Amino acid sequence: MIRLENVTKRYGSETVAVRDASFDVAKGDFVFLVGPSGSGKSTILRLVNRQERPERGDVWVAGQNVNDLPDSRVPFLRRNMGNVFQDYKLLSGKTVFENIAFALEVIGKPRHVIARQVPIVLDLVGLAGKEDRFPNQLSGGEQQRVSIARAFVNRPLILLADEPTGNLDPATGEGIMSLLDEINQTGTTVVMATHDHRVVNAMRRRVIQLDRGVIVRDQERGVYE
Amino acid sequence: MIARIAYAFREMWASFRRNLTLTAAAILTSAIALLLVGTTLLIQRAFENLLVQWKGDVAMIVFVRSDATPEQIALIDESIRSAPTIINVDKLQYLDKTQTYEEAKRIFVGDPVTLSLLTPENIPSEFKVVPITQDPALVRSLSEQYRSLPGVEDVALAEDEFEVISTLSKFVRTVTLVMSLVLLVVAVGLIWNTIRTAMFARRREIEVMKLVGATNWFIRVPFMLEGLLQGLIGAVVSCGGLWALNSAWTNGVAGFKPGTGISSLVVPSGYLSAVMFVILIIGALAGAIGSAIAASRFLDV
Repeated sequence: MIRLENVTKRYGSETVAVRDASFDVAKGDFVFLVGPSGSGKSTILRLVNRQERPERGDVWVAGQNVNDLPDSRVPFLRRNMGNVFQDYKLLSGKTVFENIAFALEVIGKPRHVIARQVPIVLDLVGLAGKEDRFPNQLSGGEQQRVSIARAFVNRPLILLADEPTGNLDPATGEGIMSLLDEINQTGTTVVMATHDHRVVNAMRRRVIQLDRGVIVRDQERGVYE
Repeated sequence: MIARIAYAFREMWASFRRNLTLTAAAILTSAIALLLVGTTLLIQRAFENLLVQWKGDVAMIVFVRSDATPEQIALIDESIRSAPTIINVDKLQYLDKTQTYEEAKRIFVGDPVTLSLLTPENIPSEFKVVPITQDPALVRSLSEQYRSLPGVEDVALAEDEFEVISTLSKFVRTVTLVMSLVLLVVAVGLIWNTIRTAMFARRREIEVMKLVGATNWFIRVPFMLEGLLQGLIGAVVSCGGLWALNSAWTNGVAGFKPGTGISSLVVPSGYLSAVMFVILIIGALAGAIGSAIAASRFLDV
């Protein structure tokens, strides 16, 4: 589903974000990218959804070489992947329903599809009945659930999560992790960047560890260390 | 498809209302710029009424009495052609009564009283003379000769009637054209800035749109529509101003004494509509261009 081949990415001429990274993620996998801040986890996610382009090497997503993709095709690549962030990136002027509907609206989905899909995904993330709230009326965990609902409402092949539990207390983070696990069970490939030891150790999934841009460990059923 | 169009218009309208002060500034500037463009065109046209008989370097017009015989006309023609060192005989033009009457309709467009006194029968015909010489004194001395020929009613010299107006007209045209161009650029700049601000205010939204796979065109179109609407509203405002200005001017000029020439400085209403149409197009284009530049440059937020 995702393959990196000898990918190097630098910011400016000095900072090496990722150095010669190669790995393969099969369809339906759940992968943790771990390592301290600045080790290149977020950069890898940004390379996968083509927010960044590598300096050397290739990034493949669903059989497509992402680097060769013309800019005009990038939106269609991104429709295959959902994104979840540490800071949720919800639109404060829109309700829960509107935030989720927005993701469908801007890719041109007709209204009746939106009206059908949004309640289903709200139910999935456990927010049924809160569709008319605004983000600032929700707890952090609930806001993250909205953001996951928005990422998943289009049934993407891949879910990219960048520190999704970073702003949450452990109990709430656990809830988010079980939600991501549930989404993974539906066949969606999940790649999650984190430095949260607890969630990695509790899940026992594949772990790719980065240190200053270099992959130092790639282990099935790994722990954080 | 309908969902997309509805979306674009909804977003355009929301953004339009959100930035009301900037939007008002952009609209007002484009309105003033376009008003100047329109005024330039109208002034140009009004002067042309006065200058139409002097088009093409004509320096002297020999008016022939309406009751002149063909022999007298032939004699005048011959006399003019007999000075080929002073006069460009290839460009010598004779307008018969019908042609002169057509011309008079334009000259006296704002002076219906005088025009009603003229008919294709009682109007003089005319020779239009283009000189070769640069020396106005030579042309003037020729005019004295022609005046004494039988059948000649009068000889008019551009020097006396036309040069002041011509110079004035060129000056006014240059000044208004430069001013309106500068203002037009300012208007495009202001629209650009308004759209840029609108996009900056919504950068989080745009970021989310890009991440969930909205195409750049989908993101861009509402902003471009917003700019287009600003330019168009500016144009509509300026059309109103232009209409008011023209009505006031036409009414004011009607009070002048006939025959002073000032009363010719009006434009036909068909021309006014054409100018308004052009202004609407320029306004819409300026808005679309300003916002398109902004939308392309600031999409990478």
